[in-house]
Amino acid sequence: MVGKPVPKVDGAGKVTGQAVYADDIDLPRMLHCKILRAQLPHARILSVDTSAARRIPGVKAVITGQDLPIRFGILPVTQDEAALEGEKVRYVGDPLAAVAAIDEETAAAACDAIKVEYQELKPVMSIEAALKEAADEPIQSYPKRSDNIHRMVSYEFGDVAAGFARADHVREDVFFFQGSTHLPMEQHSAVATYAGGRVTLWSSTQVVHYVHRALSKVLELPMSRIRVIGAAHGGGFGGKTDPFAHEIVVAKLAMLTGRPVKCTLTREEVFYAHRGRHPVLMWVKTGVTRDGRVTAMHFRSALDGGAYGSYGAASIFYTGTLQTVTYDIPAYKFEGARVFTNKAPCGPKRGHGTPQPRFAVEMHLEKIAREIGLEPVELKRRNFVKPFSRAVNWLRITSCGLEECTEKVLTASGYANRKRQPGRGMGFAISTYMSGAGTAIYWNDMPHSEVQLKVDRTGVTLFCGAMDIGQGSDSVLAQIAAEELGLEARDIHLVTADTDTTPIDLGSYSSRVTFMAGNAAVEAARKMRALLVAAVAERMGVTDLEEIDVADGRVGEFSFEDASVLAEEKFGALASAGSYKPPRIGGPFKGSGVGPSPAYSYSACVVQVAADARTGIVTVERVWIAHDIGRAINPLLVEGQVEGSVYMALGEALMEEQVYRQGLHKWPSMLEYKSPTFLETPEMHTFLVETDDPEGPYGAKEAGQGPLLPVIPAVNLALQDALGVWIDEIPVTPEKVLRALEAKAKGEPPRFGPRGFPSVPYPEPILVEPPDPADLRVGDELELAFPMKGGGPPSAGAGRSPSPPGPPRAPRVR
Amino acid sequence: MRVSVPKSLDAALGLLAEDPQAVVLAGGTDLMVAINFGRARPEHIVSIARLAELKELVAGEQVLCGAGVTYTHLLQRVRDRALVDAARTVGSPQIRNAGTIGGNLGTCSPAGDTLPILAALDATIVVVSRRSGERRVPFSDWMRGPKQPALEPGELVLRAEWEEAGPAQAFLKAGTRNAMVIAVASLAMVVDRARRRVRVALGSAGPTIIRATAAEEMASGLIEEVGWERPLTLTEAARARFADLVAAAARPIDDQRGTGAYRRHVIGVMASRALQRTGAAA
Ligand SMILES: Cc1cc2nc3c(=O)[nH]c(=O)nc-3n(C[C@H](O)[C@H](O)[C@H](O)COP(=O)(O)OP(=O)(O)OC[C@H]3O[C@@H](n4cnc5c(N)ncnc54)[C@H](O)[C@@H]3O)c2cc1C
Repeated sequence: MVGKPVPKVDGAGKVTGQAVYADDIDLPRMLHCKILRAQLPHARILSVDTSAARRIPGVKAVITGQDLPIRFGILPVTQDEAALEGEKVRYVGDPLAAVAAIDEETAAAACDAIKVEYQELKPVMSIEAALKEAADEPIQSYPKRSDNIHRMVSYEFGDVAAGFARADHVREDVFFFQGSTHLPMEQHSAVATYAGGRVTLWSSTQVVHYVHRALSKVLELPMSRIRVIGAAHGGGFGGKTDPFAHEIVVAKLAMLTGRPVKCTLTREEVFYAHRGRHPVLMWVKTGVTRDGRVTAMHFRSALDGGAYGSYGAASIFYTGTLQTVTYDIPAYKFEGARVFTNKAPCGPKRGHGTPQPRFAVEMHLEKIAREIGLEPVELKRRNFVKPFSRAVNWLRITSCGLEECTEKVLTASGYANRKRQPGRGMGFAISTYMSGAGTAIYWNDMPHSEVQLKVDRTGVTLFCGAMDIGQGSDSVLAQIAAEELGLEARDIHLVTADTDTTPIDLGSYSSRVTFMAGNAAVEAARKMRALLVAAVAERMGVTDLEEIDVADGRVGEFSFEDASVLAEEKFGALASAGSYKPPRIGGPFKGSGVGPSPAYSYSACVVQVAADARTGIVTVERVWIAHDIGRAINPLLVEGQVEGSVYMALGEALMEEQVYRQGLHKWPSMLEYKSPTFLETPEMHTFLVETDDPEGPYGAKEAGQGPLLPVIPAVNLALQDALGVWIDEIPVTPEKVLRALEAKAKGEPPRFGPRGFPSVPYPEPILVEPPDPADLRVGDELELAFPMKGGGPPSAGAGRSPSPPGPPRAPRVR
Repeated sequence: MRVSVPKSLDAALGLLAEDPQAVVLAGGTDLMVAINFGRARPEHIVSIARLAELKELVAGEQVLCGAGVTYTHLLQRVRDRALVDAARTVGSPQIRNAGTIGGNLGTCSPAGDTLPILAALDATIVVVSRRSGERRVPFSDWMRGPKQPALEPGELVLRAEWEEAGPAQAFLKAGTRNAMVIAVASLAMVVDRARRRVRVALGSAGPTIIRATAAEEMASGLIEEVGWERPLTLTEAARARFADLVAAAARPIDDQRGTGAYRRHVIGVMASRALQRTGAAA
């Protein structure tokens, strides 16, 4: 089963229309909810008059900020959102009142009838403006500052000054990466009921557990009185990873009316819910030796966070921390800041905080290589991180197929021998991403993933809190259980993402599910197999359990069903459980919790473009991408994730922008927010590189996010190759290309991009000693916490005992 | 909101005569968007989707294109190169199956893709009402302003008419992607060799469709020199001059889809390419 390209277990239901999405749910007596949203970007709310709305026939309840005063937010440090704002609004689209009515039209009419009196405040619409003193009052008061800076961090790992002193060449660059949104096919939707003193919520969410927590807090109900169920999911990409106002509002309205209540956001509202890519301004300075070895790097970022915290406190770190697990940087200084602006809140979009620095650093290293006369690919290669090493900021690297990925795409594309012709070019870039965040969103010492198995005469049922958002996590869980129990994936019944019936999984974010829930599934299934094998061995009179084969629907001499009957006779009800907790591998300093991951995936990419010097239009012709997946549990799904990432990256590279004019979103519609169509999708050549990570289930690592990252700089570098201009800003639009060409024609630097980096009052850096040099060697001192390979059900404590990884296996290239 | 669905042209004209404020609904790809966003709240809608009379398309020496002809239908039936190229770029298959040329004329946006071509073909728009019968409006008089068609209350667009203009036609459209894109700028050029006529019209380059008459004259002069029946070989300088003349005719603005400066630049590039293509086609 593992390694087979079997179709998704939920595929048929989705393509035949049988899958039940949240908006498909239609319950008896159900009411429809519409949310009134702010039409001003920044204003104090003086009064909200709902009397006219309440008088409209068919309106059953109207609520405002007074009904839901308790604030929430995904991170414990930024509980800054209200389901309905009562005091002030901070962006166009901020929710401030809600109506439940007998149909959507009535609810919409009632929203129109609500009168809001505002006192307008000056909107803050850029990073530069947010860094200045607020004109009247800051957007958020809790940072206790007179400007609109949300948070700042500053670290220095190793002796950066000495690193620069040692360099033969030092260069600085400034880059800007514009924000973009996720654009899932399915709009957010939630349905709530209230019966027997319990709230049940079906939602299109990526994280049932975090929604569960937020509901409990805001509704002031114990978690035992709330049930959250993930409905069939039409795409998230990070956009459904926060608890949202509409989820809390429908629950509250259900409690008030005693009737089921549904709210499905309009497409326009989805643009306001956002939580997408942060616009980030970046400054980077790097020192290299004559032969291209990096001696030190100093990286600064300024993130435009929009109006609320969301994941922002983590996003700041992500713009800085993963630099060191991509390239080997012996001394590294990182300063990051996030500001509040009067825009829809930014958060975690696919790649969370890392595509921006990936773009900046790949471009920057290319410029350095040209300057010192080294082939850029060669310079990058000389600085690749090594497998089984520890970075200067303590991040632990295990399997790493960067070299193999690079070799694969260079060979397949013929990069080194490409024909040099004006208007055609190729670009190369690499990336890294986490296989799950090493720490939970809120501090706790519990497992991040749990799986339970039940076996009886109906077969095998697997219970897990993981939410399949289309990436195929259900299929992976089924395949893993099937592998261990000698069955087919379709033989495993799945119950997932339901807080009443399934054990915890923290959700579909940070590329964590295959790695974490997968490991929990392996453990649960191996325990179950041991029960079946023991019962069969006893009946067969065999003492050596190894002799009992579990394969092809049979356990030893018995069919699976007969074996399960034997086991139930012997042991009673058949249940097993597995859990996964990432090893504690962060460094010994405050803030080391963001960045560690049990394993990192690696990708390399070559892009070929045709660029029209007269119109500035860039057409991507071909993409070659290789991804170190560790081990592909299902190659079909992995390729799907890689190609989906390429597609999404191309949109960001060339057209997608979540931007504003006079406080208003410029284009909150699918027609005007430009994202690529089939017609823009190039030929893609996808290669999977298998490095068998020692801690991943069967060696597997992540696939859903990492492959997005190298594509963006590779497009940009291909354009550079084609026309000789640098567009130090994403997206690369025709206008920017023409402006750079004009500059080139005038003999100015052939570049378009930000002119400088503003002065940010970063704090004094926290100085961190690098880990012991012994740790930097490949090796056995590394704390590898979860050696899954080697067969046999792990004992209860196995999850925590450190043991050496053994020599790195030779990677396999598919 | 009342919706009438007449089954004949006569019945439709009767309804519109009775209630001149009624709004006509064809494919709905513009009107329904306006209604859904609360920008239009018509009290009475007269659907013309069932009127067979509006769906006729006669493609001969004289082309008669009913207002109810969809883009998909145009693509299959019409011979005018520029119109086919324009129809192909409109929206997506769903939009092309529903959207009509009459709707494009009714919306009367400077970004309407068929409009620069109707201008370059010297088309005539035939409208009809109970009160005044048929009325013929030359395309040059059709757009009174952005979104202001030369339609009187109670009137319906019946069809567009033009004379078959031969193969020397081009339509170019600049936009962010290759489908589902409203033009950042567009250009239609027709060299009607039989009638010795050159027409260049620009879309999304000003408040209405703009004809680049100075450029038209210049191109006519060039073709006159080599002969109307012969392909044109162009010097770099002639192309550049033509491009400049066309770009100079544009009155583009900065808006969310692009800047005025980029529009003017890309119009010049499209003009040069259109002259090359139409000049070569004899
Ligand atoms: C997703 C999307 C993509 C689009 N892409 C493009 C594009 O690429 N290029 C482009 O040009 N347009 C595009 N459009 C706009 C639209 O599809 C076209 O303008 C189309 O031609 C409208 O035709 P319709 O039949 O749908 O008109 P409707 O929406 O039915 O009507 C439009 C207007 O014309 C009036 N009207 C319609 N027919 C008549 C008639 N016979 N007599 C009098 N008045 C009439 C109506 O009253 C209304 O005011 C797009 C629209 C959408 C939603």
